[in-house]
Amino acid sequence: MTDIVVNGKTLSVEAEPDTPLLWVLRDYLGLTGTKFGCGAGMCGACTIHVNGEATFACQTPLEAAAGASITTIEGLSEAGDHPMQKAWIEEQVPQCGYCQSGQIMRAAALLSENPTPSRDEIVEYMSPNLCRCGTYPRIVRAIERAAKEI
Amino acid sequence: MATTPFAEMKVSRRNFLRGGAMLTLLVTAGGVINVVRGEAIAQQLPEIPVNAWVKISAAGEVVIGFGSTEMGQGVMTSLPIILAEEMDADWSKVRVEQINTDPNKLYGNPKTGGILFTAGSSSVEGYFEIMRRAGANARRILIYSAAKAWDVVPTSVTTEPGYVVHSASGRRLSFGEVAMLPEIVSNVPEVRDSDLKPRSAYRLIGSGIERLDIPDKTRGAAIYSIDVKVEGMVYASTLEAPVEGERPVTIDDKAAKAVPGVIAVMPVDDAVAVVAEHWDIAVKARDLLVVEWSGDSPFRTANSETDRADVIEKSSDLKISGTAWAERGDAAGVLAAAGSKVIEADYFTEHTYHAQMEPLAAVAAVDADGKGAEAWIGTQSQSLSLLAAVQALETTPDRIRMNATLMGGGFGRRTFFARVQLRLALILSREVKRPVKVMWTREDDVKNGWFRPAPAQRMRALLDENGNLVAWHHRIVGPSILEFAAPQRWATAKGKDILVMEGTEIVDYSIPNLLAEHVLIPRKTRVSAWRGIGWGHNCFASECFIDELAEAANADPVEFRRRLLKGSPRGLAVLEAVLAMSNYCKPEAGRAHGLSFAGYKSTLGAGVAEVSVNQETGEIRVHKFWAAVDPGFAIQPKNLEAQVEGGIIFGLSGALKERIEIVNGEVQQNNFYDYDIMRINEIPEIHVQIVESGAAPSGAGEIGVPMTGGAVANAVWALTGKRLRHMPFTPERVKQVLTQ
Repeated sequence: MTDIVVNGKTLSVEAEPDTPLLWVLRDYLGLTGTKFGCGAGMCGACTIHVNGEATFACQTPLEAAAGASITTIEGLSEAGDHPMQKAWIEEQVPQCGYCQSGQIMRAAALLSENPTPSRDEIVEYMSPNLCRCGTYPRIVRAIERAAKEI
Repeated sequence: MATTPFAEMKVSRRNFLRGGAMLTLLVTAGGVINVVRGEAIAQQLPEIPVNAWVKISAAGEVVIGFGSTEMGQGVMTSLPIILAEEMDADWSKVRVEQINTDPNKLYGNPKTGGILFTAGSSSVEGYFEIMRRAGANARRILIYSAAKAWDVVPTSVTTEPGYVVHSASGRRLSFGEVAMLPEIVSNVPEVRDSDLKPRSAYRLIGSGIERLDIPDKTRGAAIYSIDVKVEGMVYASTLEAPVEGERPVTIDDKAAKAVPGVIAVMPVDDAVAVVAEHWDIAVKARDLLVVEWSGDSPFRTANSETDRADVIEKSSDLKISGTAWAERGDAAGVLAAAGSKVIEADYFTEHTYHAQMEPLAAVAAVDADGKGAEAWIGTQSQSLSLLAAVQALETTPDRIRMNATLMGGGFGRRTFFARVQLRLALILSREVKRPVKVMWTREDDVKNGWFRPAPAQRMRALLDENGNLVAWHHRIVGPSILEFAAPQRWATAKGKDILVMEGTEIVDYSIPNLLAEHVLIPRKTRVSAWRGIGWGHNCFASECFIDELAEAANADPVEFRRRLLKGSPRGLAVLEAVLAMSNYCKPEAGRAHGLSFAGYKSTLGAGVAEVSVNQETGEIRVHKFWAAVDPGFAIQPKNLEAQVEGGIIFGLSGALKERIEIVNGEVQQNNFYDYDIMRINEIPEIHVQIVESGAAPSGAGEIGVPMTGGAVANAVWALTGKRLRHMPFTPERVKQVLTQ
């Protein structure tokens, strides 16, 4: 049994200590908002916050997350109204939507670190996250919008 | 009406009963089929189809059926908008319901052979007439029913959004109130063309309505097939054959079976499956399998390098004749008579992988008797997935309850049967007697991809003494996609493979003698349509070659195209629009512009790329891209722009970076670390302009792709004087061309 704190709640998980946090969240805890894209830290679909930092859940073993504060897309805001989520709707960012939880989580971490990023800083910070539909131009616009509103 | 014992009916019936009284209007483009009172539903259900384009609840909620599937292209919103527009529904009260099956053949897309199939940017094009006529019929039923209740003539009754109104007496009823009237008039006159709204009266179509699927997608609440969880579900990972068609000879599963949580290990088709309580356990155990494979697949002869040399050689050997896909005049004769005046060039595109962000997955829960099941899959075709399920369980369609989920990208990968995961999930669920989710890792998804074919394209043409293009020969050597992916369609296609050849007919260019032919060779790997389909690789070759011909004719590439487009006002309009918006041929210092015209079926487009080239490394940087697109008119303009942006990025990614290599039949790439797709820090600044001609509305999911390769290669020529004829334009390859 490993205790982890997910979205403010302490939960006990019965899984091997080396189980990637991604699968703990998705299969053991039913938090499917965090997505599986590559399992190799190459696409960012599984991006979550560990102690506030953007982290690949697929590269984080359960044992490494014990005691840490984990935030997933489901816990980013109470009512889905985090400024980044609102900006995502305003700019109509998602297409297939599969990568967007990860994109939003990374973007939210960016604004906590740097509330007034330049366009170059946005693009650099967001580059670990892939989107195959090609929503990148709108991701940039949504982050710029959220930065203005925060 | 015949009995439709689809199990889905039970689900819908429960919904009806739980939701209270509801009026179902079974209307189609052809008129009203049936009207069912809520109270009567319990008795009548077994005799009628329950999928309807429109249902109205007492609260006035308008439920609109959705016959396509949603993979990111936004049609889950645009198709219902078309119906709601003609019905005069209050958009805030519209709810969309996925159509999962079509036993009575009411809901298929006429552009995809009348089945439920979402491909080729055909949803709006195929469903526009159906949806608007269904909406007009529904509105008419509401008007006639209210008129009856008020005892007035129907012509004195009209609608406002969500209401039926009798202005003379000031009476009005909400759609929900009409649905609850004691008598519903279903016998209404047929809707004629003149009854349909003119474009000037549209209030929903062309407005800024937001996509219905987006809020859930910002909250992690959207459910894809990989997310489906069913009570008691277990997980399966598969060890797939290293090369298609090989079989396990020996399986040592001792170590795999010893992993706690493993339920079963068994060979299925070309794979060995491990079923476990959790996915991470299934994968861990799968990786412990020791399997000796037969190693005897005929596809082991596939080698990218030698196969490329082979198709290029065949493309130049004109004695090998092909099947004509498009023919105007006598191109072969004119070119044969022209001798050395014929201008020729070889183009080549390599295999590419779809890289949809959601690896393929399916869930199945098989019934106790093993002959029925509920299934969940992200599919581009409910109809073909149903067929795959029927084959897997050797059962009848009525026993399959299909749930088409959202897709984490499609791009052509989930067309045809989308069969492997669904089939395995069904077979394994029957075996272990529990619901099973089958998932691929990214590596599985890459290694077992169905790739865009890698044909050789020989371009041949003749100019007259005035530099006019008089003959054009587009000769493609490669395998058929249909033969592999849709053998039933291939059987009646008379050798014409639309998925390989479409786009070579270039109907917008006035070319008196044109031959587009396909020299068919056997496939050596799994092949499929890839976003842009034939237009993607064909338009690259033809638009680059057009630039080569302009050079040979001492003509400006723009003027040369203007002459070719003289018979296509729509084509000229997008060309002029993109020239104006890009300030064509006035790039920033050190850069150049390249132009490509592009059609995609009924949608027309033109693109301009602004590029620079690093002469040291050979790296191309696309700084800006402008596109003008004519989709007839746009149902959702903001979404249409987004689709074109996405198509451009997809196309550029393929043009600059993407390549699958095959050695002895085995795919060499594994994951995003060796199959690199475009990232946010690599994209150009993109500008899209919609040029509405007012023609019938057509699709936008793919029009961004075909214009990219030609625009980039033509810009590189303008900058360096070198032609890029081999896609992708990787730095090594560009460097090689620059030093030639």
